[in-house]
Amino acid sequence: MTVNPPSLVSRRRGGGFAAVCAVLAVLPWVADLSAYAHNQLTLLYITIAGVLAWNWMGGFVGQVSFGHAAMFGIGGFVAGQMMVHVHLPAPLCWLAGAGVAGVFALGAHPMLRLRGPYFSIATIGLGEASRLVFTYWEKFTGGASGLSLPIDADVRFRLYWWALAIAALVAAASYVIRHSSLGLKLLAIKADVEAAADVGISATFYQDLVFVLSGAVVGLTGGLNASFFNFIEPNDMFGFERSITMVLVAVIGGLGTSLGPVLGAVVFVLVHNYLLSSYPQLHLGLYGVLLILIILFEPLGLTGLAQRGVRAVERARARKRAAP
Amino acid sequence: MWYRVNTMRITSQRLLLSLVALLVAGACKKESAGTAKSDDKAEIAIGATLPLTGAESRTGGFFKEGYELAFDEVNAAGGLDVGGKKRKVKLTLYDDTTNQATANSLADKLINSDKVDFLLGTYSTALVEAQSTIAEQNKMPYVNGGGAASHIYKRGYKYIFGVLSPVELLGTTLMNWIDEQQKAGKLPRPSKIAVLWENTAHGKDFKKGISDFAAKSGGAYEIAIDESFELNGKDFSALLGKVKAAAVDLFLADAHLPDYITMHRQYLDAGLCHKVVSYGARGSEKAAVDALGKDNVAYVLSGVWWSPQLADTIPLAKKFVEAFKAKYSGKTPEWYHALAYEAARALFAGIQQAGSTDREAVRAKLAALKIESMLPGGTVEFPADHGGEAQNLFIVQQNQPDGTSPVIYPKEVAKAAGVAPSPRCTP
Amino acid sequence: MARLLDMIVSAVLLAGLYATMAYGLGLIYGVLRVVNLAHGGVIMAGAYLGWCLHEGFGLDPYLSIPLVMAATFLLGVVMYQGLVRRLPRGAAGGPASLLLLFGVWLVLRNIAYLLFTGNDQVIRTAFASRAVPLLGTHVALNRLVVLGIALVIAVLLHVLLRRTMIGRAIRAVAQNADSCTLVGIDVNRVYTLTFGIGAALAGVAGVLLATIFSFNPGSGSSELLKSFVVVVLGGLGSVYGVGLAALIVATVEVFAILVLPSYLTTAVGFMLLVLVLVLRPGGLFGHRVLS
Repeated sequence: MTVNPPSLVSRRRGGGFAAVCAVLAVLPWVADLSAYAHNQLTLLYITIAGVLAWNWMGGFVGQVSFGHAAMFGIGGFVAGQMMVHVHLPAPLCWLAGAGVAGVFALGAHPMLRLRGPYFSIATIGLGEASRLVFTYWEKFTGGASGLSLPIDADVRFRLYWWALAIAALVAAASYVIRHSSLGLKLLAIKADVEAAADVGISATFYQDLVFVLSGAVVGLTGGLNASFFNFIEPNDMFGFERSITMVLVAVIGGLGTSLGPVLGAVVFVLVHNYLLSSYPQLHLGLYGVLLILIILFEPLGLTGLAQRGVRAVERARARKRAAP
Repeated sequence: MWYRVNTMRITSQRLLLSLVALLVAGACKKESAGTAKSDDKAEIAIGATLPLTGAESRTGGFFKEGYELAFDEVNAAGGLDVGGKKRKVKLTLYDDTTNQATANSLADKLINSDKVDFLLGTYSTALVEAQSTIAEQNKMPYVNGGGAASHIYKRGYKYIFGVLSPVELLGTTLMNWIDEQQKAGKLPRPSKIAVLWENTAHGKDFKKGISDFAAKSGGAYEIAIDESFELNGKDFSALLGKVKAAAVDLFLADAHLPDYITMHRQYLDAGLCHKVVSYGARGSEKAAVDALGKDNVAYVLSGVWWSPQLADTIPLAKKFVEAFKAKYSGKTPEWYHALAYEAARALFAGIQQAGSTDREAVRAKLAALKIESMLPGGTVEFPADHGGEAQNLFIVQQNQPDGTSPVIYPKEVAKAAGVAPSPRCTP
Repeated sequence: MARLLDMIVSAVLLAGLYATMAYGLGLIYGVLRVVNLAHGGVIMAGAYLGWCLHEGFGLDPYLSIPLVMAATFLLGVVMYQGLVRRLPRGAAGGPASLLLLFGVWLVLRNIAYLLFTGNDQVIRTAFASRAVPLLGTHVALNRLVVLGIALVIAVLLHVLLRRTMIGRAIRAVAQNADSCTLVGIDVNRVYTLTFGIGAALAGVAGVLLATIFSFNPGSGSSELLKSFVVVVLGGLGSVYGVGLAALIVATVEVFAILVLPSYLTTAVGFMLLVLVLVLRPGGLFGHRVLS
C-alpha cells in the first residue's frame, strides 16, 4: 500500500495564491489604473521580490545582512551596461545581472563562517566597501555621473507584469522553501549551528546556497530597478539606505515568516507615501519606533499580530461553541 | 489537535492574502479623477519637488524661496497672459527628501495623478537626472535650475531645459582668469596644478573643465595631482601631504561647504600656501569666513552662477534683489534663489509666448527661447547643441582680507581687480 | 623624510581620534556582548549637546565635557533600562539587539533633525583652532587635545577596571554573568552602569569630534564603522588593545595613500574590517573565537 505524503502546498492555499495573482494581473484594466498607480504597484512588486529574497538569509537562516545593497547594485549595473552596450532584450540582461550578483555573493563565502553580530557587521563593511569601490570604478558604473539607459516606454509599461511574475515566483519559492525539508535544515542552522552539524547538516553548504540565491534574486531586482528608473547611480544603488530598507521591511512584516515580507512591503510603501505627503520630517523616527516596538513586543512583526488576531477570533468562537 | 492548528494556519494565511489583495486594491483607488481640459481651468498648475529634508535641505529651502517669489510676483500682477486671458499660476510642491527614487515617484504622481501642466525641477544633479527621465517619458516640459552636470543634457532629451550652466564652464572660467594672469607674467609658465575634486558629478565636471583647458594650453599648465575625495570626508591630511610633496603652484579644489571648511582648516594647519587657491563654487560663504577667520580665507577664488553684486550692472538683478529683500525681511539672495527664480521665469515666458498650456507648443517656445535675464551675460536661452542647457558664463569672486568678496571677472561686471599670486604666500 | 614624519604625526593624531570613538563601543560589547548600533547616534548626540552648550552659554567645548558625559551617561542608562534589558541575553538576542539599537539610532537622528534641522554644524573656538609647531610640522591644537584625552581615558578606564570594586564587578560579569549572580553581584546594575559609561564615552567622543569636523543629524555611521574596525581588531577585554588597534588602523589608512588613490583610502578601513573578521575574529589581542 503506498502512502502519499501530503503535498507541499495544499490545494486551497495554492488556489488562493493563484487567484490573488490573477486579480493583480488584470487589475490595470479592470480598475483603470492611472499611470502613477500602475508604476507604484510595479515598484511594490520589485520591493516585495527583493525583501522576500533577503528574508531567506536574514529570516530563514538567521544571518541578518546589512549589505545586500552590494548585490542589488551589481545586478542593476550589469543589467544596465548590457542594455546600453549589448542591446539584448531586457529580461536577459536582468538574468545576467542576477548571475553576476550571485557569483559575487559566492565570493563572500569566507564571511559566512561568522555568526550573529559579527556577520552583520561584516556585511556592513562589505556594503560600504562595495559602494566606494564601485563609485570609483567609472567604466562600470559611470562613477558619480551614473548610468543613463535609453527610454523604452514599452518595457516600462510591461514591467508591471514582469515584476508581478517575479514577485509571485519568489513568494511561492519562499513558501515552498519554508515548508520543505530545506526550510527545516535552515531552521536547524538558525537555532544551533553545531547541533545541526552533528546531525549532518553542512552549515557551510546551505548558507552558501541561500546567500547565493538571495543575492541573485536581489541582483535581479536591481536590474528591474534599472529598467524602471532609466537612470541608476552607484551612491544610490549601493547605498546603506537600500540595505536598511530591506531589513526594515522584513522586520515589519515578520522576520523569518514565509510571507511576512509581502505584508511588510505593502504597509511600508503605504506608510512611506503617506508620510512623504504629510509628515516628511518624521519618517525616520517613525520607522525607528516601529522597529523598537516590534523587537520588544512582537518579534514576528505584522504577521505575528495577524496570527494573534486570528487566534483571538478562534478562541472567541470556541468559547461560544462551548457555552450554549 | 493538529487538525485545529491546520485550520488556524489556513485561516491566518487566507486572511493575510486577502488583506494584501485588499490593501493593494485600495492603493489603486487613490488617484484623482479629474480630467478637465487644462485650457478651461482658471489656474495653471505647475508641479515641483525639492529636497526640503535630507542632505540637501538647506539648498532645497533656498530654491523654495526663489520659486515662491516668482509665483507671487506673477500672481500679484493678475497672472500670466495666456492667449489673451489672464490666468494665475499655482505651485504644487512636494518634498523628495533628497532621494532619487522619491523624486522620480513624486514627479510621476505630479504628472499622472495630480495632472499638473508643467514641471519645475528639483535641486542637485543626481535628483534632476533621476527625475528628468520621467518628465521626458511623459513628454512634460521640465525647466530646472538645479542640475548642472552637462551629461544630464547629453541624452538627447527634448523636454528638459536647464538654466544652470555646466560646472565644466566654472573650471574653464577660473582657468580663463588664471590664464590672463599668466599672460601678464604674474604666474609662472608652465604652472603646476593640483586638482582635488569631490567624487560627485559636480566635482567630475569641474575637473574636466580644468584638465581640458590644460590639455589645450600647449604646455602652459601641467596637472601634477588629480585626486578625488569622498563627499563629507573627514581627514584630508594624507591627501594634502601628497599635495605638499608635489610643490605645485595652483591649488584648485571643488568641494561642498563642510568639506571646504574641513579641508581648508587642514590646509592651513599643514602650513600650505599656493599662488592661487580655489574651492570651486565655495569661498565667500559667511560660515566659512567665521569658521576659518578672515585672514585665512583671503585671496581664495570662487566661481558662482550669480551674485547679488550684479545688481549694480544688471537692472533685472537689482529688481530681483529688492523684491527678494522686501519679501524675506531684508535677507540678501544668493545664487540658489536667483537660479530658482530664473527657472520659473523662463517657464512662464515659454507659456506666455506659446499662448496656451499645450505642452508641445510650450516646449517649442522654450527650445527657441531668448529672454532678458539677470544671469551673467544678460540673456538666457537653451541652445539645442548643448541639449537645452544654458551656457552663461560664471563670475569669479575673490575674498579680500577685509572680509568682502568682490567680483573680479569678467571685466564687464568686475568690481575690483583680482590679485595673483596670493600675497599670503610671499614671506 | 619630512613627508614620512608628517604622515606618522597624522597617523598618531588620527589614532587618538579613533581610540576615543572606539572605547565606548568596546566596553559595551566586551561586557554585555551587545553590539551598540546606536553608538554613532550617541556620538552625534554628544556633538549636538556640546554645540548647544557652546552656542547657548558660550561654554568652551573642553569644559563642557563633564556635562556632556553626565547627560549621555543618563541616556545610556535609559537606553539600557528601558530597552536593552528586555532582550534575551546571548546568541538569542543577537539580531534582535542589533535591530533594536538601530531603531534607537533612527529615533535619535529624527529628534536631531527636528530640533536642529539638517544643516552642518561645528564647534569652533579660537583657542582650539590654532596650530602649534611640532617636530618640524604644524599640528592642530584640537587634534592634540583629542590625542591627550584619548590617553587619559585609556589610563582612567584601566584604573577603573583593575583597581576599583566596580571595575572588578564589571570584569567578573564580563567573564561569566551567571556565576556573578551566585556570588551576590547585582548583574543588572553592572550592566546598567556599563551601558551608561559606554554611552558617556561616546558622548565625549562626539564633543571632541565636533571641534574638528562638521556634523549633522545624519553623521555617525562612519564613526560607528571605524569604531567596529578598531574594536574587532583590538579584541575584547583589553583597553590598551583598543588603543593599539586604533594606531594600526590609522597608520594603514594614512599610508594607504602611497599605493591607492585618495578616494579609496576610506574603503581601506572597511576592507580591513572584513579581513580581520574573517581571519581573526578574536582580534589581535583577544582570545580566539570559535566559529
